[in-house]
Amino acid sequence: MLSSMIALLGLYGTYHVITTDEPIHGLGGLFVFNELSAILVPYVAILGLVIRKYATKYMWDEPGYKRFFILLNFIFSAIYMLVMSNNLVILAIAWQLMSISLYLLVSFNVASKSAVKNGSWTMLIHKGADLLFILAVILTYQTFGSVDLGQLSQTWLEMSKNPIDNPTIFVIGLLFLVAAMMKSAIVPFHIWLPYTSEAPTPVSALMHAGVVNVGGILLNKLAFLLLLTPAVLNIAFVIGLFTAIFASVLMLVVPDIKRSLGYSTAGQMGYMIMEVGLGAFSLAIYHLMVHGIFKATLFLESGGLIRYARHDPNIPQRLSYKLFWEEKTEHKSNKTFNLIALFTILPLLIFIGVKMVLSEEFFEFNAAIVILAFGWLTGTQLFLSFFKVSRSDSIKVILALVSSFIIILFTYEFVGLALEHFIYGEHALLFYGAATLNVTIIMSMVALAAIMIIGWLFMYKQHFVDIQKSKMPKRTQWLFYKLLAKEAYVPDFFIKYIKIFKKG
Amino acid sequence: MLMSIILLILAAGVPYYLILEKNKKLNSEKIFLISSFLVLCAIVISSFVTGTYSSLLVIISLLSAIFSIYKATKTTNFYKFGYYLLFINAPFFMLFIREQGVLYTLSLLITLGGVYSIAKHYDKYYGSANYHGISGTTLATPYVGAFLTVYLITLALYPPFPNALFLLSSMIKEEPTLLWYIVVVIVFLGNFMVAMRVMPRTVFGTPNTNLHYVDLTSKEKIIHFIIIILLLALSIIGFKGAIA
Repeated sequence: MLSSMIALLGLYGTYHVITTDEPIHGLGGLFVFNELSAILVPYVAILGLVIRKYATKYMWDEPGYKRFFILLNFIFSAIYMLVMSNNLVILAIAWQLMSISLYLLVSFNVASKSAVKNGSWTMLIHKGADLLFILAVILTYQTFGSVDLGQLSQTWLEMSKNPIDNPTIFVIGLLFLVAAMMKSAIVPFHIWLPYTSEAPTPVSALMHAGVVNVGGILLNKLAFLLLLTPAVLNIAFVIGLFTAIFASVLMLVVPDIKRSLGYSTAGQMGYMIMEVGLGAFSLAIYHLMVHGIFKATLFLESGGLIRYARHDPNIPQRLSYKLFWEEKTEHKSNKTFNLIALFTILPLLIFIGVKMVLSEEFFEFNAAIVILAFGWLTGTQLFLSFFKVSRSDSIKVILALVSSFIIILFTYEFVGLALEHFIYGEHALLFYGAATLNVTIIMSMVALAAIMIIGWLFMYKQHFVDIQKSKMPKRTQWLFYKLLAKEAYVPDFFIKYIKIFKKG
Repeated sequence: MLMSIILLILAAGVPYYLILEKNKKLNSEKIFLISSFLVLCAIVISSFVTGTYSSLLVIISLLSAIFSIYKATKTTNFYKFGYYLLFINAPFFMLFIREQGVLYTLSLLITLGGVYSIAKHYDKYYGSANYHGISGTTLATPYVGAFLTVYLITLALYPPFPNALFLLSSMIKEEPTLLWYIVVVIVFLGNFMVAMRVMPRTVFGTPNTNLHYVDLTSKEKIIHFIIIILLLALSIIGFKGAIA
């Protein structure tokens, strides 16, 4: 009931902001319901409503039912506080409240030794993020003489007109960035997320859809500060890109499905930070919301699916199953270059068409092309992984993929542009300028084509060619596989060297 | 200067517990009470001192804090844990501006009062304040688990509890130097590690099947509620100070 009311209130606030174009200030200016809050508060509220409704049934026979809901409300309060804060001190308090509530939720199953241990890892990394955040707040106050975010944003915007070279501002930006990276599970701070799957399913849904996104939310709240620190944006891009690739590769290698989902989220967070690094701040918000809804659905559905599977020993059949999975006897021959042509040239043409129809700034907004290529590849790869596309249905697959690509492009572009104009208005283009990673149109097209060709060749080998059983992998391949299977030895490092929580 | 040295000895953590621990007549509980009393004396005396403390005193208290962090990671006794935490936090008493330092230390003492009450409860029902074998209190004795969790979160410097808010407000108002940053980082992380280390050992975990767990009596609950109310009152002061 209360959740529904909060969601309705959030939606009313959004309506108010859209219609009047005026933010709502509260508690003496400590909180603000501005354009960013207008998007995020209803998102969090609706997510909260679904998770609570799910949890009432899912958790009813678990010990500590009351404790669970107290902690759930505690973390949601912290998220609302974080989203709506208009003061760095309030933001710092909310930032820390999230850490502690997350720790208690991850360790909810207190009787489990591994749940508590993994919760401790989470806590350790989040405490590091808290410390860096507080140091950044102090430096901000010392440098700009205020902790009011509204005032600070104005100051930063003014300062960005005449760029200055102040190392302290770079340090502040870097501290905020690293704090955001730690909470958003970006490499090398990713390790807490894949190991938190022992938390109750609603907590996993909340964590992957909400908590892990706070890094992106923070960087959006401090967007105007990052105008002054192009180097920080470049660092964000590089680390985000690395995380996206590294975590996605680990996702494919780790044998544990829950850890695999954890790495998938870490990879998506990498995209999000990369988008920030390219100056596409509003796209990062869109990305975190879309990914959040997708992951929450995935986690919440998992319980129901298991229940369904228990009643029916066969895997539940759906339309997608019949279309793509079911074995067919007929086989049609398709040459590799035909497939490559279909999967590269056609999407490229569609892409250019969509961009030109929707965006006037087509030639100014080249960096986003690279992101879209990555986004599309991830989507299609996921598509293939889920439905195990077989060779016999290649025409259907092509049609499905092309149509899905058009839909993805339109929504991504349309919503991205709409969000960009809604949140930042005419200032949005400043961010792309500050990112200093201006990719030319030819470079981006070449990169896009190359990525698609490599991606599709890889997928073709994975899905269309029989594996030669007699061929043994080379020693270097084994070593590479071992490195990935051991998650680059990062968990081992934690276990070996960080023993502060070891049980006595 | 003399006053500063007295304060250093009383509150700023020259670890006199090393001498006291050697005395066989003084058990951990008594050392905890003596240390708390001396810190309270330091709070009172500090009101007569003007100006700031010298960097040397801060460095001495930091060194003893590091030593106390080390000692605290070795203990499994709530009383010892309590007085080690007093000395871990001593540099903040010396480092922060007078009023903030005093308020911080006061809220620390109140929190440790809560830990002391839990220690007494353990002593009474389980024979000692050693928490090593009494794990899983969240499941077996929910009230003890809840209160202890609150105290440990407070000691680990997390809001909405006052220690964190006084720390935050002091940090924003100070003019930081390199020493200041070193002290804050070490004590901030030290507090966190020591407090959070206790949680998996006693609050969380599987209850010991050989023990008959006893939850808090009504009288004990009232004491803990009073402590929580005091902490919340201090939180409001801390919050006002932080956003002022």
